[in-house]
Amino acid sequence: MDFSELSHQTEIRDSLDKILSKHCSQELLKRYDSNFKHDENLLFLLSSNGYLGLGLNEKYGGSGEDLYDLGILFERLGYHAAPLSLSGCLVDVAQTIQKFSNQESCNKILTSIIAGEIYTSAILEPSNQDPENPETTAKIEDDQLIITGTKYLSEITSIAKSILISASSNKGVLLILVDTDQVKLTELSSTANSPLFKVELDSVKVNKESIIHEQGRGLEALRYLIQLNMVMRSYIALGVTEKMTSLIAGYTSEREQFGRVIGTFQAVSHRAADCFIELECLRLVNQQASINLNTNLDCENDALISKIWAGDACHKISYSAQHLHGGMGVDKDYVLWRYCLLAKECELINGSASQNIDRLGVNITTNQ
Amino acid sequence: MLIQLNQKQLKLQNELQEYFEGLITPALISELNQPEHFEGGGPEFKNAMRTMGSDGWIGLSWKKEFGGKELSPIEQYIFVETVMRTGFPFPFLTTESVGPMIAEHGSAWAKEEIATKILKGELIFGIGYSEPNSGTDLASLQTKAIRQTDGFLINGQKMWTSLANFSDYIWLATRTDFEAKNHKGISMFIVPTDDPGFSMSAINTLGDVRTNATFYDNIHVPETHLVGELNQGWSLITSQLNLERLALVNHGPVEELYKDVLKISQSTKINNDQYLSDLSWVKHNFAKVHSGIEALKLICWKQTWIMESGQLNMAEASVAKVYGSEFFIEAYRLLMEVMGELSILKNNSELTILNARLERMYRTASILTFGGGTNEVQRDIIAMAGLLMPRTR
Ligand SMILES: Cc1cc2nc3c(=O)[nH]c(=O)nc-3n(C[C@H](O)[C@H](O)[C@H](O)COP(=O)(O)OP(=O)(O)OC[C@H]3O[C@@H](n4cnc5c(N)ncnc54)[C@H](O)[C@@H]3O)c2cc1C
Repeated sequence: MDFSELSHQTEIRDSLDKILSKHCSQELLKRYDSNFKHDENLLFLLSSNGYLGLGLNEKYGGSGEDLYDLGILFERLGYHAAPLSLSGCLVDVAQTIQKFSNQESCNKILTSIIAGEIYTSAILEPSNQDPENPETTAKIEDDQLIITGTKYLSEITSIAKSILISASSNKGVLLILVDTDQVKLTELSSTANSPLFKVELDSVKVNKESIIHEQGRGLEALRYLIQLNMVMRSYIALGVTEKMTSLIAGYTSEREQFGRVIGTFQAVSHRAADCFIELECLRLVNQQASINLNTNLDCENDALISKIWAGDACHKISYSAQHLHGGMGVDKDYVLWRYCLLAKECELINGSASQNIDRLGVNITTNQ
Repeated sequence: MLIQLNQKQLKLQNELQEYFEGLITPALISELNQPEHFEGGGPEFKNAMRTMGSDGWIGLSWKKEFGGKELSPIEQYIFVETVMRTGFPFPFLTTESVGPMIAEHGSAWAKEEIATKILKGELIFGIGYSEPNSGTDLASLQTKAIRQTDGFLINGQKMWTSLANFSDYIWLATRTDFEAKNHKGISMFIVPTDDPGFSMSAINTLGDVRTNATFYDNIHVPETHLVGELNQGWSLITSQLNLERLALVNHGPVEELYKDVLKISQSTKINNDQYLSDLSWVKHNFAKVHSGIEALKLICWKQTWIMESGQLNMAEASVAKVYGSEFFIEAYRLLMEVMGELSILKNNSELTILNARLERMYRTASILTFGGGTNEVQRDIIAMAGLLMPRTR
C-alpha cells in the first residue's frame, strides 16, 4: 500500500497552482460574475503548458493515461474557482473517445483537444432521472442517423466545435458527435454563472460515422462517461471544499470577538475540524475511484461513493464556512461566496447525494 | 393539553389571508421580484405599507394605549406566519420592535412624530447595531455619542445596516459611557438618514440581499432623539429578543416551499409511467422535511404559549432559534435534491422551477445561524439554562 503521490503529480499540482493563482485573483474573477464565464487566455496557457493532455496517452501528445493526474487538474480548477468549464471536453469527450474510439478518431480529436480546441457533451435531460436511458432518440436510416431530443446543462457549448450526444436507438444507446451548428442552443442562467446550455435537436441528420464507439458498446461507453464525470466533478468539489476549509482556518485564526481570537472557542475549532474530516474522506474516495477507473471501465459503486461524499462535503463545508465567517462569509467583496455557489453546483449536477445513495443501495442489495 | 389554534385564532388567520390576497397586487409582486426591491422600498411597497397602516394592520404588538392592537404572542406569530407565506417583506423590526419601544420610551417629539408615523406605515428604520469589530460581541460597540449643551454628537461606523438605503431613520446603538462595563454604557438614538453627516456604501451579499456599511460623521441630534434613559440602551436592545428570534424561524415560509415542491414533483413525469414523487428516495426526502416542519411548528407554538403565560424560559427560545435556523438549511437542501439540477437555475433562465425560489433561498439560509444571536451562544444558553450545566468558558 502506498498513499503517496508520485513526484510528477506533486509537480503538476504546484505548477498548476502557480498559473491558476495568477489568473484567478479576485479582481480577475469579478469579470466573470456576470459575463460569459470562460477565460480563453487561461485555456491557451493550460494548453501550451501541456495540461490539457493530462490523462491522455503520449502517442496523441498527452502526458499518460493516469486519471489521477486528470483529477489533480479538476481539483485545482475547483480550488481556484477558475473560469473554465472543462469536464465536458476533457472528461466526457476526450476520455470516452480514448477508451472507445478507433485510432483514427483518437488521432484527430485528442490531438486537437490537447491543442486547445473545444469539444463538449450533452448528456443530461430535464427531468430524466436516468441518464443511462436517454429520451433523445436516434433513428437509423441507411447510413444516416436522425436525432431528436432536448439536452441541458451542456458546458461552453456555444464555443464548442462539436457536441457528444447520448441517444437511444433500436440498436441500443449511442454516443454521437454532432456539429454545434446543427443544434439549437439556449444559454441557461445558473447559480454559479457557469456557461451552461440547453441543446435542442430537431431531426438532426448525421452520418453513421459520427458514432464514436464500436457497434454494441454504446451503453458501456455511456456508463463509463457518466461514472468518470461523477468522479471528476467530485475532484472539483474537493478543490472547492479544500479552499473553503482553508479560508475557515485563516479567518477564524484572526477574527476577534470578546477579546479573543474566535478560533479559540471550542465550538468554532471543532466545527472546523469536522470540515477537515469531511475533506479527508472525500479526498480518499476520489483517489480510490480515479485509480480504479484506470484499470476497470465499470466502477459504478466507486463513482457513486465519490459523488455521495462530494454532495455531503459541499453542503456541510459550505454552510460551516459561511457560519464561521459570520457576515463576512456572504459579503461579495470577500472570497468565500463564489465557492458556496460552486459547491451547490458540484453537489447537484450529475446526481445529488440522496439520489446516489438510493442507487448505491439498490446496487449493493441486488446484484453484487 | 390542547395543541391547536382556537376559533378566534383561526378566524384571525383567515382574515389575514384574505386581507393579504387583496393587498398583494400583480404590480407589487413584479416590483418585489426585482433584486433591488427584494426587501421592499419601492413605490408599490410603500403604498402597501400605508394601506396596511390605515387599515390598522401595523402595531400588532403595541400596547393599546399607544394605538396598537396588543395582540398576544400566538396572534403575533400567526400574523408573521401569514405575511411571510405571501413573501411580502414586511419590516417587522421597524413596526414591531423599534416602534413599540419608541412609543413607550421615546421623548414627546418621538412619540408624536415617529411612533405615530410608524403606525401609519410611513416610516422605515434601519437597525444600527453591528460594527466591523462588534458582531456577536455586540456590547463592545464603539460608535460614540458625546453629550453637548444642546444634544449629542455622534461619530462612528456601523456594518450590515440593512434597509439603510431606503430607510428614513437609523435605530442606532451608541456608547455614551466609556468608563462603565460594556453593556452598561450604551444608549439608543433615532438618527435621520438625511443628515449631511450620514453616508453609506452598499454591501452586496450572496443572497442578493443588499446591506450597507453606514458612516456617522459629526451628526448632531437634539436630546429628543435619545430613546430611554441615558446608558440604559442595552435593555432596549434585548427586551424584545425572544419575540424577534421567534419571528426569524417562523415555520410558514418553509412549509409553503415544501408544499410547492411536493406539488411539482407529483406532476413531473420522469418516464412513461412514473412521476418524480414515486421514487423512494424522493419520498424519503419529503418525509424528512415534513417531520422537521412539524417539530418546528410545535416548538414555535409552545414558545408563544410560554410567553403568553408570562413564564420565562431562556432555553426554549434558544432551542427554537438553533433548531429552526439549522433546519431551514437542511430542508432547502433536501428539496433541492428532489428537483435536482433544475433547482440551480436562476429566475431569468429557461426551465426554471418555482421562479427559482429554491435557488434564492439556499443562498440566504446561512444568515440566520450567525445572525440574531449566533447559534454557539444559543447552545451555551441551552446547556446552562436548560440542562443546568456550568457556564462554558
Ligand atoms: C445580510 C445581513 C444582514 C444584516 N442586517 C443587520 C442589520 O440590519 N443590523 C445590524 O445591526 N446587523 C445586521 N447584520 C449583522 C449580523 O447581526 C452579524 O453578522 C452577526 O451579529 C454576527 O456578527 P459577525 O458577522 O461580526 O460575526 P462574528 O461575531 O465575527 O462571528 C464569526 C463566527 O464566530 C463565532 N463566534 C463568535 N463569538 C463566539 C463565541 N462566544 N462562542 C463561539 N463562537 C463564537 C460565530 O458563531 C461565528 O460563527 C446583518 C448581517 C447580514 C449578513
